[in-house]
Amino acid sequence: MTNPFDPDDYPLRPTVRRLSHLWWGERRLVVLGLVCALAYTTLTLTVSIVLQRAIDNAIVPNDVGKLWPYVLAILGLALARFWINFTRRYATARIGVRLEARLREMLYEGYLGFPRAFYDLHPTGQVVSRATNDLFPIRYFIGWGVVQGFQSAMMIIGGVIVLALVNPRLTLYSAVATPLIGFVAWRFAHLVMPISRRVQAAKGDVTEAADEAVVGIEMVQAFGREDDVRERFGAKAASVRNIVVQQAGVEAKHLPALFYLPTLSIAAVVFFGGRDVIDGNLTIGQFVLFNTILLQLTWPLEALGWILNLAQRALASAGRTFAWLELVQRLPEPENPRPLPAGPLSVAFERVQFAYPGEEEVLTGVDLALSPGEIVAVCGGTGAGKSTLLNLLPRFYDPTAGRVLLGGVDLRDVPLAEVRANVAVITQRPILFSITLRENLIAGRPDAPWDEVEAMCEAAGVADFVPDLPTGYDTLIGERGVNLSGGQRQRVALARALIAGTRVIVLDDPLSAVDTHTEHDLVGRLRPVLEGRTVIVAAQRLSTLALADRAAVLDDGRVVEDGRPADLLEQRAVFAGLFGDEIGVA
Amino acid sequence: MSHRRTGLTRLSRYLTGRWALVAGLVAVATVSAAAQSGGWLLVRAAIDDGIAKGDEHTLTVVVVLYLAVNAVGWACQLILIRGLAVIGQGIVLGLRRDLFDHLTSLSLRYFSEQRAGWIIARVTSDVDAISDALSQGLPTLVSNVVLLPTTVIVLFIVDWRLGLVAMVILPPALVLSRWFQRKSAVAQLDVRNRIAAVTAQVAESVAGMAIVQAFNRERQFQAQFDELNRENRASNVYAQQLFSVFFPSIELLGAISTCAVLVVGSRFLSEGTLTIGTLITAIYLLQLVFQPLQELSDVYGQLQSAAAAMVKITSVLDAEPDIGDRPGAVPMPPISGTVDLDAVSFAYGETDVLHEVSIHVPPGGCIALVGQTGGGKSTLAKLIARFYDPRTGSVSVDGTDLRGVRLGSYRRQLGVVLQDPFLFSGTIADNLRFARPEASDHDVRETAAAIGLDRLVARLHGGLDHEVREGGSGLSAGERQLISIARALLADPRILILDEATSNIDRPTEVLIERALDRLLRGRSSVIIAHRLATVRRADEVLVVERGRIVQRGAASDLLAVDGPFRRLAGSRDLPGRAVREAGRRPPPAVPARPCP
Repeated sequence: MTNPFDPDDYPLRPTVRRLSHLWWGERRLVVLGLVCALAYTTLTLTVSIVLQRAIDNAIVPNDVGKLWPYVLAILGLALARFWINFTRRYATARIGVRLEARLREMLYEGYLGFPRAFYDLHPTGQVVSRATNDLFPIRYFIGWGVVQGFQSAMMIIGGVIVLALVNPRLTLYSAVATPLIGFVAWRFAHLVMPISRRVQAAKGDVTEAADEAVVGIEMVQAFGREDDVRERFGAKAASVRNIVVQQAGVEAKHLPALFYLPTLSIAAVVFFGGRDVIDGNLTIGQFVLFNTILLQLTWPLEALGWILNLAQRALASAGRTFAWLELVQRLPEPENPRPLPAGPLSVAFERVQFAYPGEEEVLTGVDLALSPGEIVAVCGGTGAGKSTLLNLLPRFYDPTAGRVLLGGVDLRDVPLAEVRANVAVITQRPILFSITLRENLIAGRPDAPWDEVEAMCEAAGVADFVPDLPTGYDTLIGERGVNLSGGQRQRVALARALIAGTRVIVLDDPLSAVDTHTEHDLVGRLRPVLEGRTVIVAAQRLSTLALADRAAVLDDGRVVEDGRPADLLEQRAVFAGLFGDEIGVA
Repeated sequence: MSHRRTGLTRLSRYLTGRWALVAGLVAVATVSAAAQSGGWLLVRAAIDDGIAKGDEHTLTVVVVLYLAVNAVGWACQLILIRGLAVIGQGIVLGLRRDLFDHLTSLSLRYFSEQRAGWIIARVTSDVDAISDALSQGLPTLVSNVVLLPTTVIVLFIVDWRLGLVAMVILPPALVLSRWFQRKSAVAQLDVRNRIAAVTAQVAESVAGMAIVQAFNRERQFQAQFDELNRENRASNVYAQQLFSVFFPSIELLGAISTCAVLVVGSRFLSEGTLTIGTLITAIYLLQLVFQPLQELSDVYGQLQSAAAAMVKITSVLDAEPDIGDRPGAVPMPPISGTVDLDAVSFAYGETDVLHEVSIHVPPGGCIALVGQTGGGKSTLAKLIARFYDPRTGSVSVDGTDLRGVRLGSYRRQLGVVLQDPFLFSGTIADNLRFARPEASDHDVRETAAAIGLDRLVARLHGGLDHEVREGGSGLSAGERQLISIARALLADPRILILDEATSNIDRPTEVLIERALDRLLRGRSSVIIAHRLATVRRADEVLVVERGRIVQRGAASDLLAVDGPFRRLAGSRDLPGRAVREAGRRPPPAVPARPCP
C-alpha cells in the first residue's frame, strides 16, 4: 500500500492525459503556434527554392534584369517569415509560462491544504523545489519543445520531399549523416543528464560544508580547527571541479560531432552533386538548394534529441506533481457539521491512540479531560508524546483510535476552519513571518483592536523589547529585517496566540528559549490574561509548570499521573522523578 | 563598467602557471575558426575549379581536402571544450578555496555583522554563477569571438567587394545584438528577482505551514502568492517577447544579406569579375557571420551575472581579518593555566561594553561569571578565547600577552563549550573527534562512557555512529550539550571556557550534564558563564558582571551571606527550586513579586 502522504508518481498515461488537458486549455495559442510552425516550414523551404530559381534562371544565364522579381520575392517571404517566427515563438512561450504559473498555483493551493503528516515526510527544500525548479522542464517542454518538435518534424519531412523531388539519389547520399546527428544528439542529452545531476549533488555538498563552517565558525575558531575545515571544504570543491570537467569530457565528445557531422552531407553533395552538375544532371541552383536545405536541417535534427530528453524530464516532473495534487490525503471535512457550544470550552481526550504513518504507536491510550477555563500542564521525558498529544487539539492530525472532544463535540464533526478559529497554537519552535512585527502579532485576528494588542504584548513580554527595535511595532522581522532572538520570537508567538482571542490555547513549551529569570516574571503576567480560556501547556521546567492548575504526566504514551504539582511531588513517583531533585539543588 | 572589469580580471591570477595552456587554446580556437570558415573556400574551389571546369579529379581532391579540414576543426573543438573546462574549473576551484580560507580567518566580528545566509551565498551561488559563465560561456565566447573576425577576413579574401557588402549588413546586426543584450540583461534580472520572490514565499509558507493552518491564514497566503506568481508570469512573458523578436530578426538580416550579395554579385558576375563559386561561397559565409552574434548574445547574460557575482565576492575578499598572527608572533608553549585580564576595556562599536576589567585565574582555578544578559559576560569569555583583542589593557596567559602568540598554537590548547552547541554533520563520534581528529576509537568510546553519553545515545540508531543531521536537529538541547562537553573532554584543553545551557533540559539529562562537568573541570583552568546556583558553587571565585564592570567578587558562600548583587540575583534566578516550592505550597501559583532590576 502506498503511503497516503507520500504517494507514488502518477503513471505515464494519466500524466500525459492531464498535461494535454491543461495544454489544450490554452488551445487558441496552441493552434496559433502550430499553424505558424507549419507556415514557417513552408516559407523557409520556399525561400530556398526561390534562391535556386534565381541562380538557375537569372544568375547563371547572366540576366540581371530577371533577378529583381526573385530578390523581391525572397525579401517579401523573409519578412513574412519574420512575423510568423516571432508569433510562433511568442505564442508558444506564453503557453509554457502560463502553464507553469497555473501548475504552481495548483501546487501552492494544495500545500495550504495538506495535513501535517505530509510535511513530516517531506523536507522543506523538496516541497519548495517541486513548486519552483521542478516546474521548469514542464515550461520548456510545453513552451518550446512541443511546437518546436512539430516544426522540426515538418521541416525534416518537407526538406526531404523537396530534395527527393529534385534528385532522389543525391538525397539518399546526403542523408548519410542525418540519422547519426539525431542519434548523437539524443545520446548526448541522455549521458549529460545524470552527470549534471551529480554536479548538482556535489554543489549541494559544497553548500552544506560552507553552511556548517559559517554557522559553526565559533566552534571552528575556538578549537583552532580552521585547517581541517578548509581541507574538508577544499575536497568538496575539488569534487565539483572533477565532475564538471568530466561533464565537459562528454560535451567534448558529442557537441563538435553535432557541429561537424553535417559537413559529411555537404561533402557528399559537393562530390556526388558536383559530378551530376558536370554530367548535366543537376543545375548549379539545385546544387545550392541541396546545400542550403541540408544546413537548414541540422538544427531541427539536433532539436529532436533535446526535445525527447526534455519530454522525459517534463513528464517525470509532471508525474510527481500530479501525484501530490491528486493522491495526498487531506483531513476529511465532516458531512454533517456540528457547531461548537458557546462560552468557555471543555477539552477531552478519550482513549486516544496515535501512531505516525509506518511507525510505532506514540500515544497508547490517553484519557485526559480539561474543564472550561482550566490550565493543565502536560509533562514527561523526551519522547513521551507531549507534542504529539498537543498537535491533536488543533486537528493537525486525527487520532488513530479514540476521540478528541472540544466542548463535547468530536473534532472530526466540526468544520476544520471552525476548530482552528477556536484553538490558538504556539509551536515548540516559534514561527514568525517576514512581515512587520505588527502584522505578525495580528496574524490570528487582523481586526484586533490596538489597545487589546498592546495589552497582550505587555502580558507576553513583547512590550519589553519593542522600544529597542528600530521602528517599534512596524519593524520588519526576519531575513530582510531584524533577526529577533529565540526568546523574543517565542514571546511574539505567545502574544500572537493571545491576541487571536480564541477560547482554547495550546502551548508547546512556550518559554523554553526565554531565560529563567524572564520566564518567572512572564508566568506571573500571563495568569490573568489566560483567565476564562482553556489552556493545555507542555512543560519541561518547573518554572513553566507554575502556570498550570494541574499537571498530567505522560509516560509510554499514556497519562500515568494527574493532579496538582505539589501533590504529585509528594507521591514521589514519575513526576517527582522528573522535577523532584531540582528542589535539592538550591 | 570599469569596476566590473577589475572584478573579473582578478580571476586572471588563478591562471598563473597555466599561460602556456591558455596560449595553446587560443591557437586551437583560431585554427578551429579558420577550418570552419576556410572550408567554404574549398567549396568555392570545388565549384570553380572542379564543377565549372568539369574536372572530376580536382573535385575529388578538393572534397577529400574539405573533409580533412573539417576533421581538423572537429579535433580542435574537442580540445577546446576540454581545455577550457580544465582552465575554467581551475579558476573556480582556486577562487572558492581562497574565498573560504579567507572567510574562516575573519574574526567573529565579521560573522556577527553579516547574516549567515548572505556569507554562504558568496561561496556557493556567486561562485556558481562564475562557474556557469566559465564552463558554458567560455567555449562559446572564445570560439565565436575568433570566428566573427575570421569569417569576415575569409569573406574579404574570397572577394573584397562582397566583403564590403557584409560590412554594410554587420553594423545593424551589431546594433540589434547590443540592444538585445541590454534589454535582455534587465529582463533576466527581473525574472530572477521575481522567481526568487516566489520561492521565498513558498519556502516561508511551507516552513511555517503549521501556523498558517492553525490561524486559518490560507486565503491570505494564497492571495499573496497569486500576486507574486502573476508578477513572475508577466516578467517571464516580457523576457520571452524579447527573445522572440531577436532571433527572427537575425534570421531576417540573414535573408537581406543574401539578397544584397545576389544583387551585387550578379552584376560582377555579368562583368566577368566574379565566379559563380565565389558568389555561392559568399552567401554561406555571410550566414556564418550571424551565427556568432546569436550565440554571443546568449553568453552576454551569463557574463553579466558573473560580473555582478564577482563584485560581491570581492567585497568579502577585501574584508581584513582583524584578529590574526602579528609579525613576530611566537608559538604558545604548553600552558600551565594562569589567565590574567589587566584593565581590559572593549567596544564592539563606538561605546565600551567592558570598562577596565581585571581578572586573575590561577592554574587549575575556576571562576564563574554571573549577571544579567547583556552585562558583558560573553564578551569577557570571547576575549579570553581571543575572538577579539581588547581596546585597551591586555589579556595574557602564563604571563604572555595573547597578541604576541600564534593564534592556532593558543587555541589548540583551549576548549569551548557553547550554550547552544553546534554539531557538524557526520556521526556523533566524528563530532567528539572534531577537536582532536587523531583520537582513537578507544579514546572516543572511553570519553563517551566517562560522562554517560554512551547510555544516552544508545536509544539512537547506531549509537555513537548515529548520523547527526543539519545542526543537530533530532537531538535534544541536553544531548547536544553533553556531546559538546565530551568533545571538549576528548580535546583535553588546558583552559576551558563554558557557557552553561539555559534552555530546556529534562531533569535526567541535566543530572548527567552536572556529573560530566565535574569531570571536565577537574585539573584545568576554567571560566564559566553560569546560570545555575549549583554550577556557581563549583567555582573558586564568583564575579558578578553588570554593565561591563565587575560589581562583586568572592566565594559563592561568602557572597550569599551578604546583601548584595549576587544575593539578589540568586534570589530570583535560583529558579527551579524556588519555583516549585511556590507552586507546591500555594497552587494555583500566585503572581510572584516582580524580581529585582
